[in-house]
Amino acid sequence: MKRASGMEGKRARWGWVFVAPGLLFFSLFSWYPIVNAFVTSFTNRKLISLKAPKFVGLQNYVRVLSSEDFWNSARATAVFAVGAFVPLLLLSLLFAALIVSLRGWKRPAQMALYSPAVLSSVVAALIWLVVFDPRGLANQALNGLFGTPGIDRRWLADATMAQISTIVVYVWKYVGYFTILFVTGMGKIPDAVNEAALIDGAGPFRRFFSITLPLIRPTTVLVSVMILIQCMKTFSTQYLFVQAGAPTGPIEVMTLAIYNTAMRDLAIGRASAMSMLLFAVMLLLSWLQLRASRGGEDAL
Amino acid sequence: MRKPSIPKRPSELALFVLARLVVAGAAALILVPLAFMLSASFMPASDIVSIPYRWIPDGLRWKNYLQALAGNDGSWLYARNVLNSLVVAGAVAATTVAISASVGYGFAKFRFRGRNLAFMAVMATMMIPFETVMVPLYLVVVRLGFQDSYLGLILPFMASAFGVFLMRQYLLGFPDDIVDAARIDGCSEWRIFRSVVLPSIGPASATLAVLAFRQQWDNLLWPLLVVQREEMKTIPAYIVKFAAEKSADEGAMMAVAVIASLPVFILFLTLSKYFLGGSAVFAAGKE
Repeated sequence: MKRASGMEGKRARWGWVFVAPGLLFFSLFSWYPIVNAFVTSFTNRKLISLKAPKFVGLQNYVRVLSSEDFWNSARATAVFAVGAFVPLLLLSLLFAALIVSLRGWKRPAQMALYSPAVLSSVVAALIWLVVFDPRGLANQALNGLFGTPGIDRRWLADATMAQISTIVVYVWKYVGYFTILFVTGMGKIPDAVNEAALIDGAGPFRRFFSITLPLIRPTTVLVSVMILIQCMKTFSTQYLFVQAGAPTGPIEVMTLAIYNTAMRDLAIGRASAMSMLLFAVMLLLSWLQLRASRGGEDAL
Repeated sequence: MRKPSIPKRPSELALFVLARLVVAGAAALILVPLAFMLSASFMPASDIVSIPYRWIPDGLRWKNYLQALAGNDGSWLYARNVLNSLVVAGAVAATTVAISASVGYGFAKFRFRGRNLAFMAVMATMMIPFETVMVPLYLVVVRLGFQDSYLGLILPFMASAFGVFLMRQYLLGFPDDIVDAARIDGCSEWRIFRSVVLPSIGPASATLAVLAFRQQWDNLLWPLLVVQREEMKTIPAYIVKFAAEKSADEGAMMAVAVIASLPVFILFLTLSKYFLGGSAVFAAGKE
């Protein structure tokens, strides 16, 4: 394949033409803002101010890291992320393993589990807001289950319960989504492997722990990190519950705190410092995932 | 090798039965809140908090839906906000597909200096969480004067790095011969893209469009930042305001929820392949 160099040059120019709109877009809406956020985090910039922002060094970071509010929202985010992570990972693994063992009805089962993920987060939170009503379904179900007479568990009024409620909403909404990811991962295991184990007399539990689990390790690592990162970005459920009167402190997650710092306190410098810290944690998680999945390739 | 339809070994049989029971139970449990939303949307508020809850409404109370659309103050803002969501999510889906296809095609089928660097620069943006850049983005939109406008809502989401990745992967498998044949026939590069490449990327486009549409249908944070005027709000922002009003009626709230969910559920039921498959592809893109 030999072409005249003028032809090559013309083709190369067309490559740039096709790529240019994207490069322009990502420069303006990804690269510029991240650089801007980084720079702003070292200034005392205010949202509505005519004064030019001043460089203040690490002052924002010092102030954020020594403020009780920041650690409170870091704690709220950690509680939420871990509290949602464990049930999400275990349940989606379990559901996926069971769905894979089904022959018919695979697709309807997947669609049913997945359906809450189709809703928008705010709608999910809105449904549960009514379910968590003192006279609502949540109390009725628990009282029915435990045979207790009309106890109100204060789903949205109590500090700890509010944290649990947001986790319930999230697990309900996303368990089907992560189940699908595991189903896909398990689908890549060759049938022959399982059949050989079956012939060797390995029971279902043995097959799950000795074959399925090791073979889907890359998927597990990926899904774990996806869950954690996604949980750290949670916003809608907490925002809606707070607006509807739930206690703010226990569920003021990081994104909500950043939003409030920027839009209510108008302290953009400080909000940027907070968002850079959030970014750093997410980067660390992604880096761990990369390392873990590289390690996984060797094991395979 | 065909599997036997019903396993004979006791442990296998137990799993066979248990798997069905657990999956059916989980599916039922997960569908309960959805059924609740639908049934409560036809009830007066007093019935929704009745103990015990009666699942079948006494009659279809369409008044809830009227109130949902008209709002507590009869302003019909919700109808307008639903339209805004459709416009924004639809426009984002269309532009994401178009721009990602163009950029993905450029990266997949052309050689030029700096290509790999440019591709890495685009891919690296996947690592940037929206929450980190939302404030600077807001300032950009303010400087451009696009607050309270469709442009302001759409602009930051018009393309996605994941979309570029998806299209590039898809087009790497597209035969060069077809492109070359079109060139020899004297087609312009632009014409080749429009009439040869674009029509052949259907599945990737559908996956991407569904993903982009849903993301914007769900987006609350960005509209909260850039929109102050009620009539420019999208559904999620409206719902938060509606739910926080003291006079809000639970029946009308659930009607609001049903209306907000109808378009995505219709998409889900007709294009479920792209929803389920798209999730998997999206995850694969992060590997």
